[in-house]
Amino acid sequence: METVLETKNITMKFGGLVAVDNFSMKLGKSDLVGIIGPNGAGKTTIFNMITGIYKPTEGDILLANENIVGKHVALITQKGIARTFQNIRLFKDLTVLDNIRIAGHYRTDYGLMANILRTKKFHQEEKRLKAEAIELLKIFKLDGKLNHLAKNLPYGEQRRLEIARALATKPDVLLLDEPAAGMNPNETADLTKLIRWVRDEFKIAILLIEHDMRLVMEVCERIYVVDHGELIAKGNPEEVQKNPKVIEAYLGTQDEKEGKE
Amino acid sequence: MEYFSHLLLNSGIFIILSVSLNLINGICGQFSLGHAGFWAVGAYTGAAYGVYLAPDFLPDFVNLFISCGIGFLTAALAGVLIGVPCLRLRGDYLAIATLGFGEIIRIIIMNMDTVGGPRGFTNIPLWSNLFWVYAWVAITILVIANILRGTHGRAIISIREDEIAADSMGIYTFKYKTMAFVLGAGFAGLAGSLFAHANQFLHPNGFTFMWSVIILLMIILGGLGSITGSIVGAVILTFLPEMLRFMGETISEWRMVIYAVLLILLMLMKPTGIFGKHEFNVLSFLAKFTGKKKEII
Repeated sequence: METVLETKNITMKFGGLVAVDNFSMKLGKSDLVGIIGPNGAGKTTIFNMITGIYKPTEGDILLANENIVGKHVALITQKGIARTFQNIRLFKDLTVLDNIRIAGHYRTDYGLMANILRTKKFHQEEKRLKAEAIELLKIFKLDGKLNHLAKNLPYGEQRRLEIARALATKPDVLLLDEPAAGMNPNETADLTKLIRWVRDEFKIAILLIEHDMRLVMEVCERIYVVDHGELIAKGNPEEVQKNPKVIEAYLGTQDEKEGKE
Repeated sequence: MEYFSHLLLNSGIFIILSVSLNLINGICGQFSLGHAGFWAVGAYTGAAYGVYLAPDFLPDFVNLFISCGIGFLTAALAGVLIGVPCLRLRGDYLAIATLGFGEIIRIIIMNMDTVGGPRGFTNIPLWSNLFWVYAWVAITILVIANILRGTHGRAIISIREDEIAADSMGIYTFKYKTMAFVLGAGFAGLAGSLFAHANQFLHPNGFTFMWSVIILLMIILGGLGSITGSIVGAVILTFLPEMLRFMGETISEWRMVIYAVLLILLMLMKPTGIFGKHEFNVLSFLAKFTGKKKEII
């Protein structure tokens, strides 16, 4: 299988604290992989390293065999990694349409002068951008709300819009950071379907972090389990569930975790 | 009458200043307090062209055009010099850094003898008139409004909305922050050049930090992020203190107090400013009465 994204022994140290230690993983084309682990295990740190927000202290991150360590966040997105955020980060005061069009920004081909003078090229590109955005929003059943402000959408639709916005950057890899956070069981069930369907429809690899065990076990084909920054198990959902280390580290602290949330 | 037209001319200059500051503060969300500095750069370089370099054979409006160009470019250059190191800072830190740079510019001018230093810069040719000021007002508004309706404008707005999200949408946020900052500085310089050729006299103390605050007040009053709001804010804050002069002796004496109270009341009743982040649109305003809904994209 063709590998799209690979992390090789990435380590992240914050002063004396080792947040992530020697983490290696592979993500194949149109894989659906999950990273789980207790709170503070370093999952989001892994995401932040992959997307370029943090620069790993050691190790390489290969996107289509190209090392992207130290590259700018925006450049990494342009090269094909898109993400959503744990605490939805939409452009709240902008319309649904504008949220999607901003994601198409780096593929827009006209300069500042063309913008100011509103040349023919400007109109062509804007027309294309809008058409693409509407097409994408249709798929996510948001095309009836083009002019609604993002902040006025219901929670579930905000999540959908954020995924749509990430997809508008035309990624090869989509990272979802706790997509089910704050959702009720019905919404989570819908989300499960949506995630699988996005993978099939757009033929991209999806990597997700999630606390909701049911969602992870149901949707992911492979799972990496991290605890205290270290990889303690990997495999398919059944294997992982049976792994004694995982039960000890993750499922064993389930009460504590639920207590916190 | 001359008094009134002078007021009108000043309000035009302040419209350019407030709209350009709005591009930095309201639209891009970078809190800058150095606008008077850029205004001063444009005013002094534009005036210096008028006093030392301008060839007499050119008609006044051509000279004014060149002077405005020089004002724009030098202020934009100052914007690059200040923006590149400062825009790495955020929020309050950026405000303090830009404030400091604004004052540095003023102190430098104060110590430059060729432009009069502390004595002030005199004998600046009178080139500005109502027509050319408002022509530049129109150009400024048109340029900034056009940018906002394109992909560059959306990139600039996305920084205000959420910088981390903007980064991860493939937008080089630093580039667009600098773009907004430099354009804003440039237009402030242009306003400075118009101002110099209207007043014919410049003094470094005319560009203190207080003026940055007053321009900021205009855009907050009108609504951060709204161009139409900035225009209304600039007009109100140039005319209001002057108009209060004519409202009888008592009001005239207390006008600065009334002015302050009015501002406080407005901010209490409408903290987002008159227009908030929205633009006033004649068509959609009329649509409210006719009951027709219009699609605005």
